[in-house]
Amino acid sequence: MANYIIRRLIIALFMLLGISFVSFLVIKLPPGDFATRYQQYLIDRGTAAEEAQRAADIVRRQYGLDKPVIEQYLSWIWGIVSEGSFGYSFAYRKDVGELIADRLPKTLIIAISAHLISTVIGVGLGIFVAPRKYGFWDNFWAVFAFIFTSVPRFSIAIILLFILVFEFNQPSIVSFFSPQYVVAPWSWERIVDMLRHIWPVLLIAGLGGVARNMRVMRGNLLDVLGSQYVQTARAKGLRENTVIVKHATPNALHTIVAYQGTVLPYMMTGEIEVAIVLGLPTMGPLFYESLVNQDIYISGSLLLIYGALILIGNLLADILLSVLDPRIRYS
Amino acid sequence: MIEERQFEDTGLEEDLVAEEGAGESSLQLIWRRFRRSKASIVGAAMVLMLVLLAVFADFFSPTPINQIDLNASFIPPQRVYFGFDAQGNFHPGPFVYNYVYELDPLTFQVHWQEDTSKAYDIHFFVQGSEYKILGLIPSNLHLYGVEEGGTVYLLGTDKFGRDLFGKAAEAGRISLSMSLIGTIISVLVGSVLGVVSGYYGGWVDNVLQRFTEFVAAFPNLPLWMALAALIPKTADSFTVFVVMACIFALLTWTTLAREVRGKVLSLRETDFILAAREMGASDLRIIFKHLYPNVLSHVIVILTLTVPGVILAESFLSFLGIGITEPLISWGLMLRNAQDIQTLGQNSWVLAPIIFIVIAVLGFNFLGDGLRDAADPYAAK
Repeated sequence: MANYIIRRLIIALFMLLGISFVSFLVIKLPPGDFATRYQQYLIDRGTAAEEAQRAADIVRRQYGLDKPVIEQYLSWIWGIVSEGSFGYSFAYRKDVGELIADRLPKTLIIAISAHLISTVIGVGLGIFVAPRKYGFWDNFWAVFAFIFTSVPRFSIAIILLFILVFEFNQPSIVSFFSPQYVVAPWSWERIVDMLRHIWPVLLIAGLGGVARNMRVMRGNLLDVLGSQYVQTARAKGLRENTVIVKHATPNALHTIVAYQGTVLPYMMTGEIEVAIVLGLPTMGPLFYESLVNQDIYISGSLLLIYGALILIGNLLADILLSVLDPRIRYS
Repeated sequence: MIEERQFEDTGLEEDLVAEEGAGESSLQLIWRRFRRSKASIVGAAMVLMLVLLAVFADFFSPTPINQIDLNASFIPPQRVYFGFDAQGNFHPGPFVYNYVYELDPLTFQVHWQEDTSKAYDIHFFVQGSEYKILGLIPSNLHLYGVEEGGTVYLLGTDKFGRDLFGKAAEAGRISLSMSLIGTIISVLVGSVLGVVSGYYGGWVDNVLQRFTEFVAAFPNLPLWMALAALIPKTADSFTVFVVMACIFALLTWTTLAREVRGKVLSLRETDFILAAREMGASDLRIIFKHLYPNVLSHVIVILTLTVPGVILAESFLSFLGIGITEPLISWGLMLRNAQDIQTLGQNSWVLAPIIFIVIAVLGFNFLGDGLRDAADPYAAK
């Protein structure tokens, strides 16, 4: 198994290289280079033309923008690996690495908690509806699942925003903390305060995940419930609950773990959509803003981070699966 | 293609079905199975409805779709009444009241009030403004309308006084055609790569599979956003449309390529492929005449199931303003009005295009699910 994990890690490393190359292409593709864009930005902000020219030249030399593309790519990668420097953002006047260090933890908090909640609730619902196949609750949750995978999540966010602001006068959903907690050390009150702010994102990003996990779990459990060993368990006279919880569920869970590789990008997408609409300071709005401003080092770096997160998620799911399910072939 | 498939399958069936004419063609079997599921019929109806609305948008809109009338800015949806009006007159059909506005003397806010002094009957198949059906045939027939002086905005109007219902119907043209074209490109790429990968096997398969995995590992939405933002603001509408469709195709072909490869792998060793090869058929002939028709039904199913994802992504990109831009119009772009919280707060009906998106996504999902069950008529249920 160690062999298998090492091989997966090597493949993941190559994938990461590929993703970084595509991200770099996004930085390079627009006409003109970073320096001309920076120059334009400075001129737009009222800097004198010669001054902007001089600043652009400095940036051009500093980032080696006059060198061949491959060399630029390598130095970009080297900067990330050696000192966590992702390039310069002119809109924030900071290195992109600092911006990422600020936003990544917040994004991860939302992504991971939405993911965990949706997995637990989705799997639970799947176990609940599978034995009630085509019954009232099964149909009820099937309709729910269909609706929450069909309504665009950014529009759910708009509607929720509308209701919260105009019906309940609750303006506190566009930040992470109330003012008094922003710099306070971590405590229960601070966590509760944070939850009061980020629950719409968790709810909306999570609901689609709940729906998907539920449908997969239901299908798996139905397959497993039809198998012979379950029949044997029933024939032994076990109670139906014991059969489902102790015998059928563990075998149906493997597919859920494998399925997380598909759910993860879906949840990430939801987080991006909702955070942009609500303006929560996570990576999503930063990414969108950078695309509009053409602050290209942010766009490229965040693309790389998103790719890396999904890659790591898939890797973890694969490894977990190989630990859980001894039938996985390591070839 | 479908004709050929029919021929293939009935050819195989001849051994099994002894009596002449007793077997049904696979197409008939597919139709029979499809018809049995209510959800897929509903889905097909929803999709068909949106397509009709989009194609004949001018017919369904009582006013010219792009007529700008700033006096009619942000009129709320008009309620349709039946029976007696405020004057006590009986109306045999549905009728509406006009909205008149009052300015709040302090805040200068516009308040729309129903003017119940005169009721306007809604007439059907009325003569109205001129337009061209499909851009070719001149016509002035509209599904519904009211007499001169009255208005009928079933979903309200936008900032420029355009009827949201007609506008949303028209927006379906871009939203639906772009997602369909994007999906068709992705299906072409995916099925060719899938068939080649499965048929040739060996190192070709290996390389193509690793490539597919790599593309599938990419986070779709961020890359779509980044690529869409690269389209220059100065590009003309047609270029934007084509490039957007290609961007969506770029990342959605992977599921299809994998499924088609799996199918082809299992078909490759069957007798009829072996027979074709023994008779000296070329690789191309085997692929396109014998293998491809057999995976076509799966291709259509996946095509149907890919469309909703593209519709959702397109609407989000356009909503952000990095997708379709004016003068083209899509459902997502219409929702851009709702981005401004103040506009949204006073005119909540600008959210109406969401209904169209949801109908489209649900419709294609239902249709795809129904087709999936029906696609393999010989499988035991």
